[in-house]
Amino acid sequence: MRKLLLIINTVLENRGKAAVATINESSSLKNDLGLDSLDLAELTVRIEAEYDVDIFEDGIVTTVGEILKKLS
Amino acid sequence: MDKIFYSDIRSGKSLTYRQLIEDIQNKTTYSPYCKSSDFYVVFQNIIQSLFLEKEIVLLDSDFTDAEVKNLVGEVDITKSEPVALEKQITEDDFLELLNCKTGTWLITLFTSGTTGLPKKVSHTFASIARQVKKSDRHIDDVWGFAYNPTHIAGLQVLFQALVNRNSLIRLFGLDSSEIVNEINSKGITHISATPTFYRLLLPPIGTCPTVKRLTSGGEIFDEHTLQQLASLFPNAKLTNVYASSEAGTLLASKGNEFVIKEDIKDKVCIKENELLIHRSLLGQSTSFNIDGEWYHTGDLIEVSCQDPFTFHFISRKNEMINVGGYKVNPTEVEKYLRECLGVLDASVYAKVNRIMGSVILCDVVRENDRVTEKFIREQLQAKLQEFKIPRVIKFVEQLNVTRTGKILRK
Repeated sequence: MRKLLLIINTVLENRGKAAVATINESSSLKNDLGLDSLDLAELTVRIEAEYDVDIFEDGIVTTVGEILKKLS
Repeated sequence: MDKIFYSDIRSGKSLTYRQLIEDIQNKTTYSPYCKSSDFYVVFQNIIQSLFLEKEIVLLDSDFTDAEVKNLVGEVDITKSEPVALEKQITEDDFLELLNCKTGTWLITLFTSGTTGLPKKVSHTFASIARQVKKSDRHIDDVWGFAYNPTHIAGLQVLFQALVNRNSLIRLFGLDSSEIVNEINSKGITHISATPTFYRLLLPPIGTCPTVKRLTSGGEIFDEHTLQQLASLFPNAKLTNVYASSEAGTLLASKGNEFVIKEDIKDKVCIKENELLIHRSLLGQSTSFNIDGEWYHTGDLIEVSCQDPFTFHFISRKNEMINVGGYKVNPTEVEKYLRECLGVLDASVYAKVNRIMGSVILCDVVRENDRVTEKFIREQLQAKLQEFKIPRVIKFVEQLNVTRTGKILRK
C-alpha cells in the first residue's frame, strides 16, 4: 500500500496536484484522488514498470482496492 | 418554446437560443483570434464570425504563449475591431441567415503537423459541415458535447446541433458519475466522443436509455468493451467515423468496417495500402502532403471486399501518436525537450495504453543527475499542452538502447 501511495503521489505531483496523505481500499482513483485520464494512463505505466502488471488489462479499475487485487 | 442552446454544469451556464442570439446581437467588437476556456464564448465567437462573414482562428485555451507565438507569429491575439451586424436577427430567421452567410467564411484551426510544428488548416462551411444532416428527424436530438470546441470533431457536433436547433450539453471534462447524471437528467440522445471518453465510463455505473446514437473515431473497440458499452447504452447504435483535421468527417462505419459510398467513390483511392483522399475534399493549407491531386492520409488499410468497396484500418504510416484522440507529433515534443535546460538529447515514443490508446514516454540524456524528471516537466509545461508532455521521463546514457518490442514508436 505504501509503495502504491508513493506512485500515486508521484503522478499527482507531476501534474501540480496536491499529494494525498493516505489511501484506503475504497478510495476512488478519479473522485477521491483526483486522477484524470492522463494521470490514470501515467499510473498504469508506473505500476507496470514497478510490478510488471498491466492493471487495466481486463478492463478499467476504479478503486485502490481493485489495483491491490491485481497486484496480489 | 425557448429551447436550450447550451448547458454546462461546470460553469453553471444554461443558455437558450434566444439568449445566444441576443448575446451575438449585442456584441460590439470582433476579434479574429479565439482562445477561451469558456465553451460558450467559443461558440458565440464562431457564430458571430459567420454572421460577419469574417475568418476566425481557433486556438486551444491551454496553448502556451510559446505555442501561440509559433503558430500565429508576433500578433496581439486580444486585439479586436468594432463591429455591428447589418440587420436584426430573430429566432425565426436565425438559421436562414446563418445559411446564406456561409459563402466566404473561413474557420482556421491547428493540427499536429508531420514535420514538427502544428500546421494550420482552414475550412469553409462546406468542408466542415459536409456530414451535417438537417432534417425533421433530428429536431428532438439532444447532443452530449464531449470534445474540445476548438477541434474539428467538436465543431462538427456544434454545427449538427445548430442547424437542427438542438441542445448541446457539456460532457467534456466531467467525472463519469456526472456524465451519467447529465445524460439522464437532460435526456441526451446523441454523443460523439473519443474511444477514451467511452472507456472511462466503464465498467458501467448505471444505464443511459435515452441515448440512441454513439459516434466514435479512430481506434477499434474490442468485444468486451462493446458489451460493456451496450449495457451502459442499451438503446444506442455505435458508429465509427473516419475523420481528420485535414478533411473533416469522411467515412462512417458499422463496427470496424468502412464502406465507401457512391458520392465519394471517385475521391478516395488506395496506393500501397495507404488511404489517399482527393484534394477537393480537403480544407485549405499550404502544408499538406499532396501528390498531384491526392492527399496521403498516412493511414494504412486492408481491403475486405471489392464491391461494395469495404476496408478496415490497420495502422498509421507516419509517426503520429494518438493520445486519447489527440494526435501528438513526437518530433515536435523532441524539439521542445532538447530546448530544456540540462537536456542533451531526447527520444519520444509511444506505449500502447488501454485508457488513452497510447501514452507518450521519452528517453533523455541529461547533463548530470541534478536534472530531474520534475525539473524537465516544469519547463515543458510552459511550452506544450499537457497531453503532449511525456508521462514518464526515463534517463539513459545514450538513446535507442532501451526500446523493446513492447515500447513502440508508431
